[in-house]
Amino acid sequence: MPSNVLGFLFAVLLSASYQIISSLDQKCTEKEVNKTYNCENLGLREIPDTLPNTVEFLEFGFNLLPAIQNTTFSRIINLVFLDLTRCQINWIHEDTFQSHLQLDTIVLTGNPLIFMAETSLNGPRSLRHLFLIQTGISNLEFIPIQNLKSLESLYLGSNYISSMKFPPNFPTQNLKVLELQNNAIHYLSREDMGALRQASNLSLDFSGNDITGIEPGAFYSKNFQSLKFGGTLNVSVILNGLLNSTIQSLWLGTFQDLDNQDITPAMLEGLCRMHVHSLNLQNHYFSDVSLTMFQCFTGLQELDLTYTHLSVLPSGIAGMTLLKKLVLNSNHFHQLCQISAASFPFLTDLFIKGNLEKLDLGVGCLEKLEHLEKLDLSHSQVEASECCNLQLKTLPHLQNLNLSYNQPLGLQHQAFKECQHLQNLDLSFTQLRVDSSQSPFQNLQFLQVLNLSHCVLDTSNQNLLAGITNLQYLNLEGNHFSDGNIPKANLFQTLSTLKTLVLSLCELLSIDEQAFQHLEKLSYVDLSHNSLTSSSINALGHLKGLYLNLAANNMDIIPWHVLPILSQQSTINLSLNPLDCTCTNIHFITWYKENLKHVVNLEKTVCANPPALRGMKVSDVELACGMTTVGILFLFVFLLLFIIGLGFLVKFLLRWKYQHI
Amino acid sequence: MRTGTLLCALLSALGYGAGWPVHKACSGPNLQMLYQSCDPLQDFGFSVDHCSKELPSNLKIRFGLILRQDIKELFLDLALFTKGTSVFNFSYPVCEDDQPKFSFCGRRKGEQIYYAGPISISGFQIPQGDYQVLLQMYNENQAPVACANATVIAT
Repeated sequence: MPSNVLGFLFAVLLSASYQIISSLDQKCTEKEVNKTYNCENLGLREIPDTLPNTVEFLEFGFNLLPAIQNTTFSRIINLVFLDLTRCQINWIHEDTFQSHLQLDTIVLTGNPLIFMAETSLNGPRSLRHLFLIQTGISNLEFIPIQNLKSLESLYLGSNYISSMKFPPNFPTQNLKVLELQNNAIHYLSREDMGALRQASNLSLDFSGNDITGIEPGAFYSKNFQSLKFGGTLNVSVILNGLLNSTIQSLWLGTFQDLDNQDITPAMLEGLCRMHVHSLNLQNHYFSDVSLTMFQCFTGLQELDLTYTHLSVLPSGIAGMTLLKKLVLNSNHFHQLCQISAASFPFLTDLFIKGNLEKLDLGVGCLEKLEHLEKLDLSHSQVEASECCNLQLKTLPHLQNLNLSYNQPLGLQHQAFKECQHLQNLDLSFTQLRVDSSQSPFQNLQFLQVLNLSHCVLDTSNQNLLAGITNLQYLNLEGNHFSDGNIPKANLFQTLSTLKTLVLSLCELLSIDEQAFQHLEKLSYVDLSHNSLTSSSINALGHLKGLYLNLAANNMDIIPWHVLPILSQQSTINLSLNPLDCTCTNIHFITWYKENLKHVVNLEKTVCANPPALRGMKVSDVELACGMTTVGILFLFVFLLLFIIGLGFLVKFLLRWKYQHI
Repeated sequence: MRTGTLLCALLSALGYGAGWPVHKACSGPNLQMLYQSCDPLQDFGFSVDHCSKELPSNLKIRFGLILRQDIKELFLDLALFTKGTSVFNFSYPVCEDDQPKFSFCGRRKGEQIYYAGPISISGFQIPQGDYQVLLQMYNENQAPVACANATVIAT
């Protein structure tokens, strides 16, 4: 027994080592002819000879290049993008990229760099992006600066950098993105920040650095596109350090795996002495949600309080008149009125997604938000037996409403009368209850996009979609039609402007020939994942130039009279159908091979019949059907011989008969 | 050798084939967790600090792996089987653009990550039995980040 086990283990080891060896034989994948190649995870020690000289985008990560020098890439001088992630590079010798004038991006993430020569990055005319993430850098002097004048983004995350001290002459005039997350920076001095004075509208990321001090004035009168201090323990240190700066987006959120101090109103006082447009405080606890908490928020245009354990916002918050966007996702509100919406009268975007309690929409809780354009209430366990006119009272400018992934909603006739300017309505995965022959979307004349996927709709209600005069996109995925059939008289009759129709996963068996006759502007039809046969294609006879998805249906034989309908479309997907590859279907197979330019997913468009050809790509099928010349010749000779034989037989019979008279 | 034989027999019975070695994530008096990476490109390290049938609500775990994709967005799919039948499926967004829940969210391709910290689960007791768990992590482009076949034996 033990020897068996050893044998088993040996076999396992052998097969494992075989896998590694065999992977060495693999080739790079071509993503774009002569231009874009992926050679990752191949254990390569050099640029393979099979790669053309013209390659511009090369993903070469997870290979083995302990040292790179001017001969390493000398053959492929047109490089624009070079990814050398985790190639175990120790040395980047002088003039490695000397002849790569077009090189724009170099990714060196995850290499244990020991030394980069002074001229190692010389050559490229405008090197714009440099990734030096987790390369063991502890000192910014390590980076050779001779050719960094064009640099726009520099990624230095996950290193051992403890000081922001840039070497003198470090060119920062074009720098837009500087990422320093997960380093060991604890203090930011005026001198540190002074090195960045030439940069304008910089995005700086200090997340995952435990910053315990900022020298007063370090950020004085400076402009930033974005500043990130994710996971900072003490928010007040940061806010006080940013005195008198102007910041488009300030990210001060934290994470579930970090210990945090509760935020007190005093900690946020620094916000009163700076200009911030957008503030994120995700994942923090507020020890006291009173009016004083909001006293320094008055300059904000966007506020994100995702997962901040809130169950109520105090009423009477004053001065937040600039606020345009409020994000309250993943909190604990029981009723929509608890957000005290009247405090934010000029709000245009409101997100209450993924509420952790069952959210009761109440009555008119948002009626003071007359400028509201976008409202997201998805994933919030919303349930209402009569929706939505009382709940969404007076929202005249609402354009986007997301109520997807909620509990069942009962929709009345004209259920969205209070938000007549809706352009985009998402109700997917929310069960809708509509009384028979009611039209809940009546009068939504601006509605362009309607997502009703998996809504358990009563599709026999022909008035369901009545009154939407400009609808362009309709998704009915996962809804069912009685007997699996779309009849001639159906709920699409009024949607003459529709361009996109999704009817996948509807358990359809058939579509009436005239079911879509009023839909003349369709350009995209998805009928995939049903049980349709080729006779349903007749319903598309009046349409041209469609993107038509018929994947995963029950198409076996596609008769010749249907082929002109397919021919007039621009793109067709027939994959995952049980296609017949016998002579009965020869018209289709011939058509298919002549129209390969118009079909997609060739790999999965395979034969199901006859058994000998099962799984073969239809594009590879060679069938000999009907009479060949040789066959005709044989038949002719056979017939001739037969007639001659018959003549002899008759002659013989007659002779025999007369002889016996 | 006998325990080794037993373990081997057990593992082959549980359907572990060739590939990366099978690791023990934890072993306690009434609970054992074994896992094997099902990512053909790499193995990863994982352990659970508290190994008991009564899982606390703030379970501490440790893991280390090399990222082969950016994880600005990261999703976890978990499928639980017992005796070959599926009993539980679950999908969880770990990192999202608008809600990066953990400090490692946003790390980039090629970075080596080590995480030691809590995962919030609602505490529950694992009923006696053998369970097979398929764990898959992938990013916003559906590109695989990690994959594990695990076995949980509660006695």
